[in-house]
Amino acid sequence: MALHEQLGRLDDARELRDFKAEPAQMRAAGPGKVGELRLGFSLCGGRSILHDLYRVAPLLVQQALYWDEAMPELPICSIISIGGGILQGDRYKIDISVGEDACAHVTSQSANRVHRMDANYASQHQTVTLERGSYLEYLPDFTIPYRDSRFINHTDIVISEDATLLYGEMMLVGRKHHRAEERFGLDLLSNAVAVRRPGGRKLFAEKILIEKGDPSVDYPAVMRGFDAFANIMCLTPPPVAARIQERFETQFPSEGPRAISGVCRLPNAAGLMLRAVGMETYDVRREVRRFWRIVREEARGRTLPQEFLWR
Amino acid sequence: MMDGGMGKRGSAVGMVHLARLLQFSDSTLPIGSFAFSNGLESALQTGIVSDPASLLSYVDLILRQSARMDGIALLHAHRAALAGDDEAIRLADSELFCRRVGEEQQLMLTRVGKKFAELVLTIMTAPTLERWLGDIKANATPGCLPVGQAIALAHMGADEVEAFAMHQYAIGSMILSAALRLMRIDHLDTQRILFTAQGRVEGDYLAVRDFSLDEMASFAPVFDVLVAHHTTTHLRLFMN
Repeated sequence: MALHEQLGRLDDARELRDFKAEPAQMRAAGPGKVGELRLGFSLCGGRSILHDLYRVAPLLVQQALYWDEAMPELPICSIISIGGGILQGDRYKIDISVGEDACAHVTSQSANRVHRMDANYASQHQTVTLERGSYLEYLPDFTIPYRDSRFINHTDIVISEDATLLYGEMMLVGRKHHRAEERFGLDLLSNAVAVRRPGGRKLFAEKILIEKGDPSVDYPAVMRGFDAFANIMCLTPPPVAARIQERFETQFPSEGPRAISGVCRLPNAAGLMLRAVGMETYDVRREVRRFWRIVREEARGRTLPQEFLWR
Repeated sequence: MMDGGMGKRGSAVGMVHLARLLQFSDSTLPIGSFAFSNGLESALQTGIVSDPASLLSYVDLILRQSARMDGIALLHAHRAALAGDDEAIRLADSELFCRRVGEEQQLMLTRVGKKFAELVLTIMTAPTLERWLGDIKANATPGCLPVGQAIALAHMGADEVEAFAMHQYAIGSMILSAALRLMRIDHLDTQRILFTAQGRVEGDYLAVRDFSLDEMASFAPVFDVLVAHHTTTHLRLFMN
Protein backbone atom coordinates (compact mmCIF):
# COMPACT_ATOMS: atom_id res chain seq x y z
CA MET A 1 0.00 0.00 0.00
CA ALA A 2 1.42 3.37 -0.99
CA LEU A 3 1.78 5.84 1.82
CA HIS A 4 -0.10 9.12 1.58
CA GLU A 5 1.84 11.68 -0.42
CA GLN A 6 2.48 14.15 2.41
CA LEU A 7 3.51 11.42 4.82
CA GLY A 8 5.84 10.04 2.18
CA ARG A 9 7.40 13.47 1.76
CA LEU A 10 8.12 13.64 5.50
CA ASP A 11 10.20 10.46 5.15
CA ASP A 12 12.72 12.49 3.13
CA ALA A 13 13.35 15.05 5.88
CA ARG A 14 17.06 15.55 6.51
CA GLU A 15 16.72 15.19 10.29
CA LEU A 16 15.45 11.60 9.86
CA ARG A 17 18.50 10.39 7.90
CA ASP A 18 20.01 8.49 10.84
CA PHE A 19 16.78 6.76 11.82
CA LYS A 20 15.95 4.56 8.86
CA ALA A 21 16.38 1.13 10.48
CA GLU A 22 13.35 -1.18 10.44
CA PRO A 23 11.85 -2.06 13.84
CA ALA A 24 12.25 -5.68 14.98
CA GLN A 25 8.51 -5.69 15.62
CA MET A 26 5.86 -4.70 13.02
CA ARG A 27 7.47 -2.97 10.05
CA ALA A 28 7.37 0.82 9.79
CA ALA A 29 4.34 2.20 7.93
CA GLY A 30 2.90 -1.32 7.59
CA PRO A 31 -0.73 -2.33 8.13
CA GLY A 32 -1.76 -1.41 11.66
CA LYS A 33 0.92 1.29 11.86
CA VAL A 34 -0.77 3.90 9.65
CA GLY A 35 -3.43 5.74 11.61
CA GLU A 36 -5.84 7.94 9.75
CA LEU A 37 -8.47 10.37 10.85
CA ARG A 38 -10.78 12.65 8.85
CA LEU A 39 -13.17 14.95 10.66
CA GLY A 40 -15.59 17.25 8.80
CA PHE A 41 -17.78 19.74 10.64
CA SER A 42 -20.53 21.77 9.01
CA LEU A 43 -23.58 23.83 9.78
CA CYS A 44 -26.77 21.77 9.38
CA GLY A 45 -30.16 23.21 10.27
CA GLY A 46 -28.51 26.02 12.23
CA ARG A 47 -26.38 23.60 14.27
CA SER A 48 -22.71 22.64 13.93
CA ILE A 49 -22.37 18.90 13.50
CA LEU A 50 -19.70 16.31 12.74
CA HIS A 51 -20.98 15.29 9.29
CA ASP A 52 -17.92 13.36 8.10
CA LEU A 53 -15.90 10.84 10.08
CA TYR A 54 -13.35 8.39 8.75
CA ARG A 55 -10.88 6.61 10.98
CA VAL A 56 -8.26 3.92 10.82
CA ALA A 57 -6.68 2.49 14.00
CA PRO A 58 -4.55 3.35 15.93
CA LEU A 59 -6.40 6.69 15.68
CA LEU A 60 -9.99 6.84 16.82
CA VAL A 61 -12.80 9.36 17.24
CA GLN A 62 -16.19 8.07 18.31
CA GLN A 63 -18.69 10.93 18.13
CA ALA A 64 -19.10 14.63 18.71
CA LEU A 65 -20.52 15.54 22.10
CA TYR A 66 -21.95 18.87 23.23
CA TRP A 67 -20.77 19.24 26.81
CA ASP A 68 -19.37 22.76 26.99
CA GLU A 69 -21.80 24.60 29.26
CA ALA A 70 -20.44 28.00 28.24
CA MET A 71 -20.77 27.19 24.52
CA PRO A 72 -23.50 24.54 24.19
CA GLU A 73 -23.56 24.78 20.37
CA LEU A 74 -19.95 23.53 20.16
CA PRO A 75 -19.41 19.94 18.91
CA ILE A 76 -16.44 18.44 20.75
CA CYS A 77 -14.37 15.50 19.53
CA SER A 78 -11.65 13.77 21.47
CA ILE A 79 -8.93 11.95 19.53
CA ILE A 80 -8.11 8.61 21.07
CA SER A 81 -4.90 6.70 20.42
CA ILE A 82 -5.73 3.07 21.01
CA GLY A 83 -2.02 2.20 20.97
CA GLY A 84 -1.49 4.09 24.21
CA GLY A 85 0.94 6.47 22.60
CA ILE A 86 3.11 6.94 19.55
CA LEU A 87 5.43 4.01 18.73
CA GLN A 88 8.36 3.58 16.38
CA GLY A 89 7.24 3.08 12.79
CA ASP A 90 3.87 4.78 13.33
CA ARG A 91 2.58 7.08 10.60
CA TYR A 92 -0.41 9.31 11.36
CA LYS A 93 -2.54 11.42 9.07
CA ILE A 94 -5.16 13.76 10.50
CA ASP A 95 -7.45 15.98 8.39
CA ILE A 96 -9.89 18.39 10.01
CA SER A 97 -12.18 20.69 8.07
CA VAL A 98 -14.77 23.16 9.28
CA GLY A 99 -17.41 24.40 6.84
CA GLU A 100 -18.85 27.87 6.42
CA ASP A 101 -19.97 29.45 9.73
CA ALA A 102 -19.61 26.18 11.65
CA CYS A 103 -17.71 25.77 14.91
CA ALA A 104 -15.91 22.84 16.54
CA HIS A 105 -13.48 21.83 19.25
CA VAL A 106 -11.00 18.99 18.82
CA THR A 107 -8.72 17.79 21.57
CA SER A 108 -6.96 14.59 22.59
CA GLN A 109 -7.84 12.13 25.29
CA SER A 110 -4.64 12.54 27.31
CA ALA A 111 -1.00 13.47 26.96
CA ASN A 112 0.49 12.41 23.66
CA ARG A 113 3.34 10.12 24.70
CA VAL A 114 6.04 9.48 22.15
CA HIS A 115 7.58 6.23 23.34
CA ARG A 116 11.23 5.26 23.47
CA MET A 117 12.58 4.07 20.11
CA ASP A 118 15.49 1.86 19.09
CA ALA A 119 14.70 1.81 15.35
CA ASN A 120 12.97 4.11 12.88
CA TYR A 121 10.78 7.06 13.92
CA ALA A 122 7.15 8.20 14.06
CA SER A 123 5.65 10.81 11.77
CA GLN A 124 2.42 12.75 11.54
CA HIS A 125 0.92 14.98 8.88
CA GLN A 126 -2.11 17.16 9.57
CA THR A 127 -4.28 19.39 7.42
CA VAL A 128 -6.65 21.87 8.99
CA THR A 129 -9.07 23.74 6.71
CA LEU A 130 -11.36 26.56 7.83
CA GLU A 131 -13.97 27.98 5.47
CA ARG A 132 -15.61 31.41 5.64
CA GLY A 133 -16.77 32.50 9.08
CA SER A 134 -15.85 29.23 10.77
CA TYR A 135 -14.32 28.75 14.22
CA LEU A 136 -12.14 25.88 15.43
CA GLU A 137 -10.33 25.21 18.65
CA TYR A 138 -7.80 22.44 18.02
CA LEU A 139 -5.91 22.03 21.25
CA PRO A 140 -4.28 18.62 21.71
CA ASP A 141 -2.94 17.81 25.16
CA PHE A 142 0.78 17.90 26.02
CA THR A 143 3.28 15.98 23.92
CA ILE A 144 5.78 14.09 26.09
CA PRO A 145 8.79 12.76 24.14
CA TYR A 146 10.38 9.86 25.98
CA ARG A 147 14.12 9.20 26.06
CA ASP A 148 15.51 8.29 22.57
CA SER A 149 12.20 9.08 20.83
CA ARG A 150 12.03 10.51 17.29
CA PHE A 151 8.93 12.36 16.15
CA ILE A 152 8.30 14.55 13.14
CA ASN A 153 5.07 16.44 12.61
CA HIS A 154 3.96 18.76 9.83
CA THR A 155 0.71 20.73 9.89
CA ASP A 156 -0.72 22.51 6.83
CA ILE A 157 -3.42 25.06 7.61
CA VAL A 158 -5.67 26.77 5.07
CA ILE A 159 -7.84 29.48 6.56
CA SER A 160 -10.33 31.98 5.14
CA GLU A 161 -9.79 35.63 5.98
CA ASP A 162 -12.76 35.88 8.35
CA ALA A 163 -12.37 32.51 10.12
CA THR A 164 -10.71 31.96 13.50
CA LEU A 165 -8.48 29.07 14.49
CA LEU A 166 -6.92 28.46 17.88
CA TYR A 167 -4.26 25.80 17.41
CA GLY A 168 -1.01 24.91 19.02
CA GLU A 169 1.34 22.54 20.68
CA MET A 170 2.15 22.13 24.34
CA MET A 171 5.23 20.12 25.22
CA LEU A 172 6.93 18.73 28.29
CA VAL A 173 10.64 18.16 27.74
CA GLY A 174 10.49 14.50 28.80
CA ARG A 175 9.27 12.38 31.70
CA LYS A 176 11.01 14.67 34.15
CA HIS A 177 9.76 12.88 37.27
CA HIS A 178 10.84 9.46 36.00
CA ARG A 179 14.58 10.02 35.79
CA ALA A 180 16.94 12.93 35.20
CA GLU A 181 18.15 11.76 31.75
CA GLU A 182 14.60 11.97 30.44
CA ARG A 183 14.81 15.77 30.36
CA PHE A 184 15.63 16.50 26.70
CA GLY A 185 16.59 12.82 26.38
CA LEU A 186 14.81 12.68 23.02
CA ASP A 187 16.69 11.94 19.81
CA LEU A 188 14.55 14.22 17.64
CA LEU A 189 11.53 16.44 17.77
CA SER A 190 10.70 18.25 14.55
CA ASN A 191 7.49 20.21 14.42
CA ALA A 192 6.55 22.42 11.48
CA VAL A 193 3.46 24.40 10.59
CA ALA A 194 2.52 26.41 7.50
CA VAL A 195 -0.48 28.72 7.18
CA ARG A 196 -2.01 29.71 3.84
CA ARG A 197 -5.08 31.49 2.46
CA PRO A 198 -7.41 29.44 0.23
CA GLY A 199 -5.77 31.06 -2.84
CA GLY A 200 -2.38 29.70 -1.79
CA ARG A 201 -0.78 32.84 -0.33
CA LYS A 202 1.55 31.83 2.49
CA LEU A 203 1.11 33.85 5.67
CA PHE A 204 3.17 32.16 8.32
CA ALA A 205 5.52 29.23 8.81
CA GLU A 206 7.45 27.94 11.76
CA LYS A 207 9.61 24.95 12.45
CA ILE A 208 10.81 23.83 15.84
CA LEU A 209 13.73 21.48 15.72
CA ILE A 210 15.30 19.84 18.77
CA GLU A 211 18.02 17.27 18.23
CA LYS A 212 19.91 15.22 20.80
CA GLY A 213 23.02 16.86 22.19
CA ASP A 214 22.00 20.43 21.33
CA PRO A 215 23.99 22.39 23.95
CA SER A 216 21.71 25.43 23.74
CA VAL A 217 18.73 23.75 25.51
CA ASP A 218 20.18 24.72 28.88
CA TYR A 219 20.85 28.34 27.97
CA PRO A 220 18.82 30.75 30.11
CA ALA A 221 17.20 32.16 26.94
CA VAL A 222 16.10 28.66 25.87
CA MET A 223 14.80 26.43 28.70
CA ARG A 224 17.02 26.66 31.79
CA GLY A 225 14.85 26.23 34.90
CA PHE A 226 11.76 25.32 32.89
CA ASP A 227 10.41 22.01 31.62
CA ALA A 228 7.25 22.83 29.68
CA PHE A 229 6.34 25.22 26.90
CA ALA A 230 3.50 26.09 24.56
CA ASN A 231 3.20 27.81 21.20
CA ILE A 232 -0.46 28.56 20.60
CA MET A 233 -1.48 30.51 17.53
CA CYS A 234 -4.71 32.36 17.08
CA LEU A 235 -5.36 32.95 13.39
CA THR A 236 -8.05 35.59 13.24
CA PRO A 237 -8.90 38.84 11.41
CA PRO A 238 -6.79 41.88 12.49
CA PRO A 239 -9.53 43.73 14.47
CA VAL A 240 -10.16 40.63 16.62
CA ALA A 241 -6.43 40.08 17.03
CA ALA A 242 -5.98 43.67 18.21
CA ARG A 243 -8.68 43.25 20.88
CA ILE A 244 -7.17 39.99 22.13
CA GLN A 245 -3.67 41.43 22.29
CA GLU A 246 -4.94 44.47 24.18
CA ARG A 247 -6.53 42.26 26.85
CA PHE A 248 -3.78 39.67 27.35
CA GLU A 249 -1.38 40.69 30.09
CA THR A 250 2.23 39.65 29.61
CA GLN A 251 3.42 37.45 32.47
CA PHE A 252 7.09 37.82 33.35
CA PRO A 253 7.63 38.17 37.12
CA SER A 254 11.28 38.90 37.93
CA GLU A 255 11.44 36.75 41.10
CA GLY A 256 11.32 32.97 40.62
CA PRO A 257 8.48 32.74 38.09
CA ARG A 258 6.59 29.44 37.76
CA ALA A 259 5.56 30.48 34.25
CA ILE A 260 6.22 33.29 31.81
CA SER A 261 4.09 34.18 28.80
CA GLY A 262 3.35 36.82 26.22
CA VAL A 263 1.48 37.39 23.00
CA CYS A 264 2.87 38.89 19.82
CA ARG A 265 1.73 39.42 16.27
CA LEU A 266 2.23 36.96 13.45
CA PRO A 267 3.51 38.23 10.09
CA ASN A 268 1.20 39.14 7.19
CA ALA A 269 -1.68 40.02 9.56
CA ALA A 270 -2.27 36.30 10.17
CA GLY A 271 -3.14 36.76 13.85
CA LEU A 272 -1.33 36.22 17.14
CA MET A 273 1.03 33.79 18.83
CA LEU A 274 1.01 32.96 22.52
CA ARG A 275 4.41 31.92 23.83
CA ALA A 276 4.41 30.33 27.29
CA VAL A 277 7.13 28.58 29.28
CA GLY A 278 6.69 27.02 32.73
CA MET A 279 8.00 24.59 35.30
CA GLU A 280 5.16 22.07 35.20
CA THR A 281 2.44 21.30 32.66
CA TYR A 282 -0.24 22.89 34.85
CA ASP A 283 1.74 26.16 35.00
CA VAL A 284 1.76 26.36 31.21
CA ARG A 285 -1.83 25.14 30.90
CA ARG A 286 -2.94 28.04 33.10
CA GLU A 287 -1.39 30.54 30.68
CA VAL A 288 -2.91 28.78 27.66
CA ARG A 289 -6.33 28.81 29.30
CA ARG A 290 -6.02 32.53 30.07
CA PHE A 291 -5.37 33.17 26.35
CA TRP A 292 -8.01 30.70 25.18
CA ARG A 293 -10.70 32.42 27.28
CA ILE A 294 -9.93 35.83 25.74
CA VAL A 295 -9.83 34.37 22.23
CA ARG A 296 -13.23 32.72 22.62
CA GLU A 297 -14.78 35.83 24.18
CA GLU A 298 -13.49 38.15 21.47
CA ALA A 299 -13.98 35.84 18.49
CA ARG A 300 -17.26 34.15 19.41
CA GLY A 301 -18.75 36.15 22.31
CA ARG A 302 -18.66 33.03 24.53
CA THR A 303 -16.51 32.35 27.55
CA LEU A 304 -14.93 29.16 28.93
CA PRO A 305 -16.72 26.81 31.31
CA GLN A 306 -15.32 26.22 34.77
CA GLU A 307 -12.28 23.99 34.58
CA PHE A 308 -12.75 20.30 35.42
CA LEU A 309 -11.08 19.12 38.62
CA TRP A 310 -9.48 16.14 36.88
CA ARG A 311 -7.74 17.96 34.13
CA MET B 1 64.07 38.89 3.41
CA MET B 2 62.46 40.97 0.70
CA ASP B 3 60.29 38.91 -1.60
CA GLY B 4 59.24 41.32 -4.29
CA GLY B 5 55.73 42.21 -3.13
CA MET B 6 54.36 38.70 -2.62
CA GLY B 7 54.61 36.10 0.17
CA LYS B 8 55.13 37.66 3.61
CA ARG B 9 54.12 41.08 2.43
CA GLY B 10 50.95 39.64 0.92
CA SER B 11 49.33 40.42 -2.38
CA ALA B 12 47.80 43.76 -3.23
CA VAL B 13 45.15 42.03 -5.31
CA GLY B 14 41.73 42.28 -3.63
CA MET B 15 42.66 45.05 -1.19
CA VAL B 16 39.90 47.39 -2.37
CA HIS B 17 37.44 44.48 -2.15
CA LEU B 18 38.49 43.80 1.46
CA ALA B 19 38.38 47.47 2.43
CA ARG B 20 34.84 47.79 1.11
CA LEU B 21 33.73 44.64 2.89
CA LEU B 22 35.01 46.21 6.12
CA GLN B 23 33.05 49.36 5.35
CA PHE B 24 29.80 47.41 4.95
CA SER B 25 30.51 45.43 8.13
CA ASP B 26 30.99 48.53 10.26
CA SER B 27 28.50 48.83 13.09
CA THR B 28 28.28 52.58 12.44
CA LEU B 29 26.77 51.96 8.98
CA PRO B 30 23.84 54.42 9.03
CA ILE B 31 20.93 52.04 8.52
CA GLY B 32 19.30 52.41 11.94
CA SER B 33 20.32 49.11 13.51
CA PHE B 34 21.51 51.04 16.60
CA ALA B 35 17.83 51.27 17.63
CA PHE B 36 17.52 47.50 18.07
CA SER B 37 18.83 45.27 20.83
CA ASN B 38 17.55 41.88 19.61
CA GLY B 39 15.62 41.28 22.81
CA LEU B 40 18.56 42.19 25.07
CA GLU B 41 16.68 44.96 26.84
CA SER B 42 14.01 42.50 27.99
CA ALA B 43 16.63 39.86 28.76
CA LEU B 44 18.26 42.32 31.18
CA GLN B 45 14.99 43.45 32.75
CA THR B 46 14.01 39.85 33.43
CA GLY B 47 17.42 38.71 34.66
CA ILE B 48 18.10 36.32 31.75
CA VAL B 49 21.25 38.37 31.16
CA SER B 50 23.00 39.93 34.17
CA ASP B 51 26.78 39.77 33.69
CA PRO B 52 29.45 39.16 31.00
CA ALA B 53 29.10 35.37 31.20
CA SER B 54 25.34 35.39 30.64
CA LEU B 55 25.74 38.04 27.92
CA LEU B 56 28.14 35.72 26.08
CA SER B 57 25.69 32.83 26.17
CA TYR B 58 22.93 35.17 24.98
CA VAL B 59 25.00 36.39 22.02
CA ASP B 60 25.98 32.79 21.27
CA LEU B 61 22.32 31.74 21.17
CA ILE B 62 21.26 34.66 18.95
CA LEU B 63 24.07 33.88 16.51
CA ARG B 64 23.10 30.22 16.43
CA GLN B 65 19.47 31.14 15.84
CA SER B 66 20.31 33.81 13.28
CA ALA B 67 22.44 31.36 11.27
CA ARG B 68 19.59 28.82 11.17
CA MET B 69 16.99 31.37 10.06
CA ASP B 70 18.31 34.58 8.48
CA GLY B 71 21.58 32.93 7.45
CA ILE B 72 19.78 30.37 5.29
CA ALA B 73 17.71 33.08 3.57
CA LEU B 74 20.89 35.09 3.00
CA LEU B 75 22.65 32.16 1.32
CA HIS B 76 19.64 31.51 -0.94
CA ALA B 77 19.35 35.19 -1.85
CA HIS B 78 23.09 35.39 -2.59
CA ARG B 79 22.91 32.39 -4.93
CA ALA B 80 19.78 33.84 -6.59
CA ALA B 81 21.50 37.22 -7.06
CA LEU B 82 24.49 35.54 -8.72
CA ALA B 83 22.12 33.64 -11.01
CA GLY B 84 20.17 36.85 -11.80
CA ASP B 85 16.97 35.20 -10.58
CA ASP B 86 14.75 37.96 -9.14
CA GLU B 87 11.92 35.56 -8.41
CA ALA B 88 14.17 33.39 -6.22
CA ILE B 89 15.31 36.55 -4.39
CA ARG B 90 11.69 37.46 -3.63
CA LEU B 91 11.03 33.89 -2.49
CA ALA B 92 13.92 33.98 0.02
CA ASP B 93 12.63 37.36 1.19
CA SER B 94 9.01 36.28 1.75
CA GLU B 95 9.97 32.91 3.28
CA LEU B 96 12.14 34.64 5.87
CA PHE B 97 9.54 37.29 6.64
CA CYS B 98 6.71 34.78 7.10
CA ARG B 99 8.79 33.13 9.86
CA ARG B 100 9.26 36.31 11.89
CA VAL B 101 6.96 36.49 14.91
CA GLY B 102 6.54 39.78 16.78
CA GLU B 103 5.71 43.19 15.35
CA GLU B 104 9.05 44.76 16.33
CA GLN B 105 11.07 41.82 15.04
CA GLN B 106 9.27 42.25 11.71
CA LEU B 107 9.89 45.99 11.72
CA MET B 108 13.57 45.54 12.54
CA LEU B 109 14.04 43.12 9.68
CA THR B 110 12.34 45.23 7.02
CA ARG B 111 13.01 48.84 8.05
CA VAL B 112 16.75 48.21 8.25
CA GLY B 113 16.62 46.17 5.04
CA LYS B 114 15.09 49.02 3.08
CA LYS B 115 17.47 51.60 4.57
CA PHE B 116 20.42 49.38 3.70
CA ALA B 117 19.30 49.17 0.06
CA GLU B 118 18.82 52.94 -0.12
CA LEU B 119 22.26 53.57 1.37
CA VAL B 120 24.02 51.18 -0.98
CA LEU B 121 22.27 52.66 -4.02
CA THR B 122 23.41 56.18 -3.11
CA ILE B 123 27.05 55.08 -3.20
CA MET B 124 27.09 52.62 -6.07
CA THR B 125 25.09 51.30 -8.99
CA ALA B 126 23.57 47.86 -8.45
CA PRO B 127 20.71 47.02 -10.86
CA THR B 128 19.47 43.91 -8.98
CA LEU B 129 19.35 45.83 -5.70
CA GLU B 130 17.56 48.68 -7.44
CA ARG B 131 14.88 46.32 -8.74
CA TRP B 132 14.56 44.79 -5.26
CA LEU B 133 14.07 48.23 -3.69
CA GLY B 134 11.44 48.94 -6.34
CA ASP B 135 9.67 45.71 -5.34
CA ILE B 136 9.74 46.79 -1.67
CA LYS B 137 8.20 50.15 -2.53
CA ALA B 138 5.53 48.41 -4.62
CA ASN B 139 4.76 46.04 -1.69
CA ALA B 140 5.78 43.12 -3.88
CA THR B 141 8.42 41.91 -1.39
CA PRO B 142 8.94 42.53 2.35
CA GLY B 143 12.55 43.77 2.18
CA CYS B 144 14.41 41.74 4.82
CA LEU B 145 17.91 42.96 5.69
CA PRO B 146 19.80 39.68 5.05
CA VAL B 147 18.34 39.54 1.52
CA GLY B 148 19.47 43.12 0.80
CA GLN B 149 22.92 42.33 2.18
CA ALA B 150 23.12 39.24 0.01
CA ILE B 151 22.23 41.15 -3.17
CA ALA B 152 24.66 44.00 -2.47
CA LEU B 153 27.51 41.69 -1.52
CA ALA B 154 26.98 39.43 -4.53
CA HIS B 155 27.12 42.55 -6.69
CA MET B 156 30.42 43.56 -5.07
CA GLY B 157 31.91 40.17 -5.83
CA ALA B 158 31.85 38.87 -2.24
CA ASP B 159 31.33 35.12 -2.10
CA GLU B 160 28.66 33.53 0.10
CA VAL B 161 31.12 32.67 2.87
CA GLU B 162 32.10 36.34 3.17
CA ALA B 163 28.46 37.41 3.05
CA PHE B 164 27.48 34.93 5.76
CA ALA B 165 30.34 35.96 8.06
CA MET B 166 29.53 39.66 7.61
CA HIS B 167 25.88 39.09 8.43
CA GLN B 168 26.69 37.15 11.59
CA TYR B 169 29.24 39.76 12.65
CA ALA B 170 26.67 42.54 12.26
CA ILE B 171 24.18 40.70 14.50
CA GLY B 172 26.76 40.11 17.25
CA SER B 173 28.06 43.65 17.13
CA MET B 174 24.51 45.08 17.21
CA ILE B 175 23.71 43.26 20.47
CA LEU B 176 27.01 44.19 22.07
CA SER B 177 26.77 47.87 21.25
CA ALA B 178 23.28 47.81 22.80
CA ALA B 179 24.79 46.06 25.85
CA LEU B 180 27.17 48.98 26.42
CA ARG B 181 24.24 51.30 26.83
CA LEU B 182 21.99 48.93 28.79
CA MET B 183 24.16 47.21 31.40
CA ARG B 184 27.24 47.64 33.57
CA ILE B 185 29.88 46.34 31.22
CA ASP B 186 32.94 47.96 29.68
CA HIS B 187 34.22 48.07 26.11
CA LEU B 188 36.96 45.55 26.89
CA ASP B 189 34.44 42.92 28.02
CA THR B 190 32.21 43.43 24.98
CA GLN B 191 35.18 43.08 22.63
CA ARG B 192 36.26 39.90 24.42
CA ILE B 193 32.71 38.51 24.10
CA LEU B 194 32.51 39.44 20.41
CA PHE B 195 35.89 37.81 19.74
CA THR B 196 34.80 34.60 21.48
CA ALA B 197 31.32 34.48 19.91
CA GLN B 198 32.74 34.93 16.41
CA GLY B 199 34.53 31.62 16.84
CA ARG B 200 31.31 29.78 15.97
CA VAL B 201 30.73 31.29 12.52
CA GLU B 202 32.47 28.59 10.51
CA GLY B 203 30.57 25.75 12.21
CA ASP B 204 27.29 27.61 11.74
CA TYR B 205 27.95 28.11 8.03
CA LEU B 206 28.84 24.47 7.49
CA ALA B 207 25.75 23.39 9.46
CA VAL B 208 23.30 25.33 7.27
CA ARG B 209 24.86 25.81 3.84
CA ASP B 210 22.96 22.89 2.27
CA PHE B 211 19.61 23.69 3.91
CA SER B 212 16.52 24.58 1.89
CA LEU B 213 14.34 27.55 2.84
CA ASP B 214 11.82 25.13 4.37
CA GLU B 215 14.51 23.99 6.78
CA MET B 216 14.78 27.32 8.57
CA ALA B 217 14.17 26.34 12.20
CA SER B 218 14.68 27.49 15.74
CA PHE B 219 14.13 26.49 19.34
CA ALA B 220 14.34 29.16 22.05
CA PRO B 221 11.06 29.31 24.04
CA VAL B 222 12.26 31.79 26.69
CA PHE B 223 13.66 34.12 24.00
CA ASP B 224 10.29 33.92 22.21
CA VAL B 225 8.56 35.12 25.40
CA LEU B 226 11.14 37.92 25.73
CA VAL B 227 10.12 39.18 22.28
CA ALA B 228 6.49 39.39 23.43
CA HIS B 229 7.58 40.93 26.75
CA HIS B 230 9.51 43.74 25.08
CA THR B 231 6.63 44.76 22.85
CA THR B 232 4.46 45.44 25.90
CA THR B 233 7.12 47.16 28.05
CA HIS B 234 6.63 50.89 28.43
CA LEU B 235 10.00 51.94 29.83
CA ARG B 236 12.66 51.25 27.24
CA LEU B 237 15.45 52.66 25.12
CA PHE B 238 15.36 50.28 22.19
CA MET B 239 13.03 48.75 19.71
CA ASN B 240 13.23 44.98 20.07
